[in-house]
Amino acid sequence: MKMSRRRSLALLGAVALLLASTLLFLYLKSNSNQTSTYAESRDLIGRIKQLNAQWETEILKARITTNRNYDPLVAPLTEMTQLWERFDTMESNHGRNDSPTWRTSHDAVLAAIQEKTRLVEQFKSHNAVLRNSLAFLPTAEDDIQEQLARLVDGDKLQLQNIATDTYDLLLSSLEFSQVTSDEKAADILLGLNKMAVNKLRLPEPFHSPIDILSNHISLIMREQPVVNRLLENIEAIPVAERLDDITRLLNIDQQQADAVDQRYHFYLLVLSVLLVLLLVFLAVHLMRSFTIINRVNKALKTANDDLELRVEERTQELKDTQSELLDSARQAGMAEIATNVLHNVGNVLNSVNTSADLVSRKLRASKTQGLGKAMQLINEHPGDLGEFLTQDAKGKLLPGYLNQLVEAIALEQQGMTDELAQLSKSVDHIKDIVATQQSYAGANSLMEPLHISELLEDALRMNAGALNRHHVTVVKEYGEVPQVMGDKHRLLLILINLISNAKYAMSDLSSRPRQMTLGVKIIDGTTLQVSVKDDGEGIAAENMTRIFAHGFTTRKEGHGFGLHSCALAAIEMNGHLTAHSDGPGKGAQFTLQIPLHRLPEEA
Amino acid sequence: MSSSLHCLIPASMLALSLSAGAAPLNEPLEPLPPVPQQDPLRVELGRQLFNEPRLSINNTLSCASCHQLQNGGADNRAFSIGFNGQPVPINTPSVFNASLNFRQFWNGRTDTLESQVHEVVKSPSEMGSNWAHVVEVLSADPKYRRAFADAYPDGVTVNTVQNALASYERTLLSSNSRFDQYLLGDTDILTTEEKYGYQRFKDYGCIACHQGVNIGGNMFQKLGVMGDYFKDRGHPVESDLGRYLVTRDDEDRNVFKVPSLRNVAVTAPYFHDASASTLEEAVDVMFKYQLGRIPSVEDKTLIVQFLKTLTGEWEGKPL
Repeated sequence: MKMSRRRSLALLGAVALLLASTLLFLYLKSNSNQTSTYAESRDLIGRIKQLNAQWETEILKARITTNRNYDPLVAPLTEMTQLWERFDTMESNHGRNDSPTWRTSHDAVLAAIQEKTRLVEQFKSHNAVLRNSLAFLPTAEDDIQEQLARLVDGDKLQLQNIATDTYDLLLSSLEFSQVTSDEKAADILLGLNKMAVNKLRLPEPFHSPIDILSNHISLIMREQPVVNRLLENIEAIPVAERLDDITRLLNIDQQQADAVDQRYHFYLLVLSVLLVLLLVFLAVHLMRSFTIINRVNKALKTANDDLELRVEERTQELKDTQSELLDSARQAGMAEIATNVLHNVGNVLNSVNTSADLVSRKLRASKTQGLGKAMQLINEHPGDLGEFLTQDAKGKLLPGYLNQLVEAIALEQQGMTDELAQLSKSVDHIKDIVATQQSYAGANSLMEPLHISELLEDALRMNAGALNRHHVTVVKEYGEVPQVMGDKHRLLLILINLISNAKYAMSDLSSRPRQMTLGVKIIDGTTLQVSVKDDGEGIAAENMTRIFAHGFTTRKEGHGFGLHSCALAAIEMNGHLTAHSDGPGKGAQFTLQIPLHRLPEEA
Repeated sequence: MSSSLHCLIPASMLALSLSAGAAPLNEPLEPLPPVPQQDPLRVELGRQLFNEPRLSINNTLSCASCHQLQNGGADNRAFSIGFNGQPVPINTPSVFNASLNFRQFWNGRTDTLESQVHEVVKSPSEMGSNWAHVVEVLSADPKYRRAFADAYPDGVTVNTVQNALASYERTLLSSNSRFDQYLLGDTDILTTEEKYGYQRFKDYGCIACHQGVNIGGNMFQKLGVMGDYFKDRGHPVESDLGRYLVTRDDEDRNVFKVPSLRNVAVTAPYFHDASASTLEEAVDVMFKYQLGRIPSVEDKTLIVQFLKTLTGEWEGKPL
């Protein structure tokens, strides 16, 4: 039962875990922020494309403008590189760069940019010197024309021709820079040859400017086609197309991702429906369980109420029984006391009887009969009484005899008086016992001045017969205790019971003398302690806690009321009764402790 | 698009407030930009690394050994001395404004300052070290370990060491040259001769290559456009091949990155082979082999005077 419950609990947990992880999985799968990253990726590619276009614009501007700052041809590449790095990081974060198609497209873009960069660098170098020479051409030509104009001596026509040749060369060079054709190149070559010839015809100072012009024109002839070729090549580099490829791949990828996304969305929906169904099922189940629980609860409550009623009834019955028991116990207690008293009275009556018997026996054997005999002798000699008393042998003895008789009678009387006193004392004792019994039989309790030692003596007296019969020696260890206020009846009840118990405890003792010790002392000036100690059978440890319980007894004829009522009485006097024993066979000591109430005038 | 707009507005406002009546000039040369915003912890770490001799294998050379900031960002030797006591094969360029060059090294073999650092540290003639060693040495130093941990989540790595150095180098801009002040609109700061010099600089075509924000440093050019420089000089060495060593393309033989002319007056000797020891000599070589022209003596003097206005400041003092 327990095992199967645990197993079903584990199963439930596993199912819950499975459902939760499935849900999480589907959620993550369907909720990736791919759309935004696709947009961002496309944006980056778009910006790279834009920079690429800007780069090309700057290249074209460098080809035609006089602005010689080449920084704008560097900056786009730097920015493109940075953007590409961001793009690449983003792609690798999404693991898109794992597929070979992606790798190929990426590499193609990088290769295109690298090749373009290389060509642009070459373009920059060649274009810079080409532009410089082109810009310088008019000045270089001017240098020659100016010098020619200053030349006064010489062939005017030849000088004119040289000037024209120089000018033509300048023109063809400038045309060549616009329309780079073999025809124009041939023109320039022709012009250069003419210049070389003209140089020989001109004086020394012309040589340097002509060389400079020729050098620069040669440079233009050399560099212009290179620059043109580079520009064509740059234009042919498909950076934009490669970037478009990437965009296309992104689009395809996004479509696929969207499809996957939608599939997971669908799965998520299905799962959600299943979960809702499950939830509804569980709710219904729960509601049903709830109803059952309610019903059971109600039944349980009814049963509980019924039970409570029954318990109450039982309790009442018990209470009744207890009070009955109390009554009977009380009667039993009183009967016991009465038995005790009668027993004691009987004991005293014995001595009364003995005394009466003794007195009657003494009367019967009284010496007063000798007085009668003496009077008879006297009566026989009425006339000669004097003579008889002095002359007669018998008569002479008579006075002496009478004297002895008087003595004997006096002795007799003394003995009888004593015996009668004893008798009357015994009768008093009986009166005492009866009076004591009468004064304690009632339940009324009141505080009255009393000597605790007298109370102990009373208790002892009431048990005197039994104690004598069992030959119990009583040792009295009474401390200095003043007259106190106390409940005589309750105290005596406790003491009689304790003494009686002690006596019973020692009834089986035969190996040693039976000794009971009564102790009275005051502790701390506030507590009166009375103890009764015996050296009888003792109390077993397991009984120690039970001896004060109602109904506990170790005696055949006991009813388990004595100690219980004693403990109650002690508590009623705001005190307590405790027991101590070192174990079975080692005797026991009962100690009563009650608050000490001194007499107001004595205190 | 919008971000460039955002950049434009403060820039134009800055320019307006600076000129206060005198608008910046529209010239093929441009003034230096402000120092970029960077993590100051990284910059400070880069400064320490820049002066750290333990970057070289035998603890003899730091970056600052050859790139002396008080010496125009380079040393005044023809060829700096490497870790092994032997001179390196090429003249040391200035570290100032290096971040504005479109490529690094004379032959432009790297695109970034980070890879420039990488090349120098592992170069068998310069620092002769390797990165595993550098990272190990720096990691063993608690001072660096703490500084790196503060500045970088990754702590001491090859990348962070290079980035810290590059971050520091990006702050090494020699701003506030007299010519930059002129470009920003303070036209009275240049003397008439210097202004003429600038005019000659443009007229003779120096500007064809030396232009832009760094007055050079944005293109490659063949040394010897109008004449064979190397034949005339003699004793060809490997480093004369220039960019050919990178691309192995015959087109790139003797092609070098056009150096920046900023601080040119304080960075003698000149050229990759340190063949010119004065500005005048260098200008002569340029005229002969690059421009193919013969300037007048006074034009040349004017150009040299102009070139001296390109010297900027570092830590408030002229270089």
